[in-house]
Amino acid sequence: MSESPVATETPLADERVTKTSPLQKLLLRPELGALVGAIGIYVFFFAVADPFRSLDAFSTIMYSSSTIGIMAVGVALLMIGGEFDLSAGVAVTTSALTASLFSYEFSTNVWVGIFVALAVALAIGFFNGYLVMKTKIPSFLITLGTFLMLQGANLAVTKLLTGQVASRNISDMDGFGLADAIFASDFSIAGTTFRISIVWWLVFVAIATWLLLRTKVGNWIYAVGGDAESARAVGVPVVKTKIGLFMGVGFLAWFAGMHLLFTFNSVQSGEGVGNEFIFIIAAVIGGCLLTGGYGTAIGAAIGAFIYGMTEKGIVYAGWNPDWVKFFLGVMLLLATVTNLWVRNRASRS
Amino acid sequence: MPVTAPTSAGPLLQMSGIVKTFPGVRALDGVDLDVRPGEVHCLLGQNGAGKSTLIKVLSGAHQPDDGEITWAGESVALGTPMAAINQGISTIYQELDLVHGLTVAENVFLGHEISRGGLSQRTEARRRTRGLLERLGHSEIPAGREVGRLSTAGQQIVSMARALSRDTRLIIMDEPSAVLDQEEVHNLFRVIRDLTSDGVAVIYISHRLEEIREIGDRVTVLKDGRTVATGLDARETPTKELIRLMTGRDIEYVFPDRPDGQPDAATVLEVDGLALAGTFADVGFRVHTGEIVGLAGLVGSGRSEILETIYGARRASSGTVSVDGKMMRAGSVVGAVRAGVGLCPEERKSQGLLLDQAVYRNITMSSMARFSRAGFMDRTAERAAATELTTSLDVRPSGVDRAVRTLSGGNQQKIVLARWLLRDCRVLLLDEPTRGVDVGARSEIYALVRSLAARGVAVVMVSSEVPEVLGLADRVLVVREGEVVHEGPADQIDEHQVLDLVMEGSAA
Repeated sequence: MSESPVATETPLADERVTKTSPLQKLLLRPELGALVGAIGIYVFFFAVADPFRSLDAFSTIMYSSSTIGIMAVGVALLMIGGEFDLSAGVAVTTSALTASLFSYEFSTNVWVGIFVALAVALAIGFFNGYLVMKTKIPSFLITLGTFLMLQGANLAVTKLLTGQVASRNISDMDGFGLADAIFASDFSIAGTTFRISIVWWLVFVAIATWLLLRTKVGNWIYAVGGDAESARAVGVPVVKTKIGLFMGVGFLAWFAGMHLLFTFNSVQSGEGVGNEFIFIIAAVIGGCLLTGGYGTAIGAAIGAFIYGMTEKGIVYAGWNPDWVKFFLGVMLLLATVTNLWVRNRASRS
Repeated sequence: MPVTAPTSAGPLLQMSGIVKTFPGVRALDGVDLDVRPGEVHCLLGQNGAGKSTLIKVLSGAHQPDDGEITWAGESVALGTPMAAINQGISTIYQELDLVHGLTVAENVFLGHEISRGGLSQRTEARRRTRGLLERLGHSEIPAGREVGRLSTAGQQIVSMARALSRDTRLIIMDEPSAVLDQEEVHNLFRVIRDLTSDGVAVIYISHRLEEIREIGDRVTVLKDGRTVATGLDARETPTKELIRLMTGRDIEYVFPDRPDGQPDAATVLEVDGLALAGTFADVGFRVHTGEIVGLAGLVGSGRSEILETIYGARRASSGTVSVDGKMMRAGSVVGAVRAGVGLCPEERKSQGLLLDQAVYRNITMSSMARFSRAGFMDRTAERAAATELTTSLDVRPSGVDRAVRTLSGGNQQKIVLARWLLRDCRVLLLDEPTRGVDVGARSEIYALVRSLAARGVAVVMVSSEVPEVLGLADRVLVVREGEVVHEGPADQIDEHQVLDLVMEGSAA
C-alpha cells in the first residue's frame, strides 16, 4: 500500500549513537565477498597445485584475467548505471575485424584501420544507448538485438571480403610495429614475462575507480542506476550519462579488440560469442547488483581475477579443463549468496 | 543562503485558472493561488480535491492544459522539473525521492555537484552539507552516511537540505508532518519560521488543522479541482468554516437506496481485538449478511491495513477474524479465500488485475478449479461464465477476449468485482472502490456493491471520500491513527462530523 506509516519506528535520535564502526564499513564494501572468495581460491590452488605457485603462473593468470577484466570494467560501470550490454562480447571482435579488414582492403596504414574501428565501436555504444533511452525498451533486449546483428555482420562481412572466416594476417603492414607495442607487447620482471594488457587493465580499473569516487560523473552513474526518476528530477543528465556508459563499453571493446588483433595478427570472425556473460559474471561476483546503483570497478577487477584463477588454476592442478565453466558457475552462486548475506548482516547490526 | 529579498510586496507566485485533465478526470478545473514571499501558505482540501496535481504542476512534473503561472512578476512555463528548480521552486514530496546508495552529501548536491575541473570536491560538499544540516537543527546526521540507513524523519531533513542547497525561494511541503513524531514536528516548524524570516515562501499541505493554525499565515481551500476560497486567515478562520468549504459537492452521486435493516440477520464477519503492531490496535466489529460497513479515515490512518489484515495479507499481532463463526488462521490469504473472503485492492492495476490478460481469464482467475477438466482449462465454459457476468454488470465494451488494459477504470473495477461474484464469496473487502473511476461510472459501481450485499454478501469498504462512505454504507467506522474513534449508523452522522472526528485531536 502506498500509505505512509503513522509514526516513524526508528526515532531520529538514534543517529546520534549509531556510529558506523570501521569493521562494519569494511563489511559494507561491495567487493568484500569477492575479495574473500579470491583469497580463498588463491590459497586453495596454491595448496593443491605445485605449478600454480610460480611467478610465471601468476603472470599467466593475470593475463587471462586482463582479457576479461578490461571489458568487465566497462560492463560494471554500465551495470552500476542500471543497464546491460549483451553485445559487449562480439563488439570486441567487430572492432578487431574492422581495423584489420579496413586497413587490409584499402591498403592503408594500420592506424587508419585502428581509428576507423574506434569510431565504429563508439558508434555501436551510442546506438545501443540511444535506442535504450529513446524507446525505454530494457537494454537486455536492445543489446540482444545488436548482439545478433554484430555476430551476423562479423561473419558475413569477413566472408564477403576475404572469402574465409578469418581476417588476413596484417603483421607486415605499415604501422604494425607501434600498434603491436602498444596493444600486445610483453615486458619482463625478475625473469618472468608479463603481457602489456595486464598494465592496461590495471590502468582502466584505476581510472574507473577514480571516475566513480572522485568525479561528479561518478555520482551520476550511481544515481541513474539507483533511481533514474529522482536523478532526473534534480537535474542529473540521465540520458547523457547512460549513453556515455554504453560508449564507454564501446571504447573498451575497441581496446580489447586491438589487443586481440595484434596478439594474433588475424581475427576469427566467430570469436567473442559468450564472453558478454563472462563480463557480467565478473561484475556480479565483484558485487555489482543486477538492479543497478551498486558496485565498484575494483570489485569487477577481483571478479575477473577469480575468472582467471579458476580458468588457469584447473589446468595447473592437472584437472580436466572441461570443468572450467562448471566451477565458474559455482563461484558465481557462492559470490552472490555471500554478498547478499554479508550485506544483510552488515546493515542489520 | 543567498535568498533575494523581495523587492516589492507583490506576490512571489500567482496561479490563475489552472486546468489539468487526465483521461476521464478533470483533476484541476480552474485553480487560483497566490503566494507572497516569506509566508506560509496552507493548502487545504479533501483527498481528490486536486492538491497533489497542483503540486505537480508547480514542480514542473505536469503541464497544465490551461491557465497562467506568474513567478516574481513574470509569466513562466514550468516545462520540466529542472525548469522549476532553476526558478527557485523546490518540492519535498511525501514519498521522499532520495537516491539510496548515495551518501547524504551526494544526495544534497546531486545534479549540481561542487566540482573543480571535473573533480568533485567531496570535502567541500560535506562541509557545506554539514552547514545546511546544522541550520536545520540536525548536525547529528553524518554527511557521509548512506541515506538508505537514515530514518524516514532523517531522510526528510536531507530532502530539505537539498532544497536549501539551491537558491530556493519557494518550498512546497506535501504533508511533511505525516512521517514525524511530535518533537520532530516542532523542529520542522522552527525550521519553517527560520526560512520564512529569510523571505522564503512555503506552501504547506497538511490535514491537521491545528498545525495549520500554528504555522500557517494564509489558507487556500480546494474542492473538486477548484479554488473555493483563497487568502483566508490561518489563525482566525473558524474550523467550521474551513470544513464547510472543503465539503459539499457540486457533483452529487446517486447512491442506491438502503434496504431496511434486518435485526435478525446472521453475522458473517466477526473481527475481535485485531491489532497490527505500529499500525492499528484493538479493532473490533461485526458485519451481518447483506450489510455494508464503511471505514472512513485519512490516508495513513490504518484503514487499508485493517482490510489487508482481515484478508490475511498481513499477519495480525493479536486478535481474531471469524467468517460464519469459523476462526481463520492469521496471515493466511489462502485460508481467507477458501473461507469466502475477497479483496479488491486499492492499487487495482498492480495488485488486482493481470492487465494484459483477457477479460474472461481475469474473471475466472480465482475459480480455476471449476473450469479445469483433467488438467485442461475448459475455455468455452470460462468464456460463457465470464460473458454472463459482464453482460449482467454491463461492462463496456463487451467482449471477453479483449485485454483488461483496454478498459476504463470503472469497467476494470467491474471485472474485479465480477471475479468475486463468480466465486460466490461471503465477505467482500473493497479498498477505494472508485479510485480512478470516472464520475459517470461511479453510480454503477455503487449499485453493483449494493446488489452484492442484497445477495447476502457482507461488504467492508474503505474510502477516502467521506460522502461515498456515508452514501453507500449502512454502518460507519471512523478510523484515526490506527484507532476506531466512532461507530454508528451511516444515516446518523454527516460529513462535517466525520471530518471533525478525522482531523480534530490528531497528535501533534
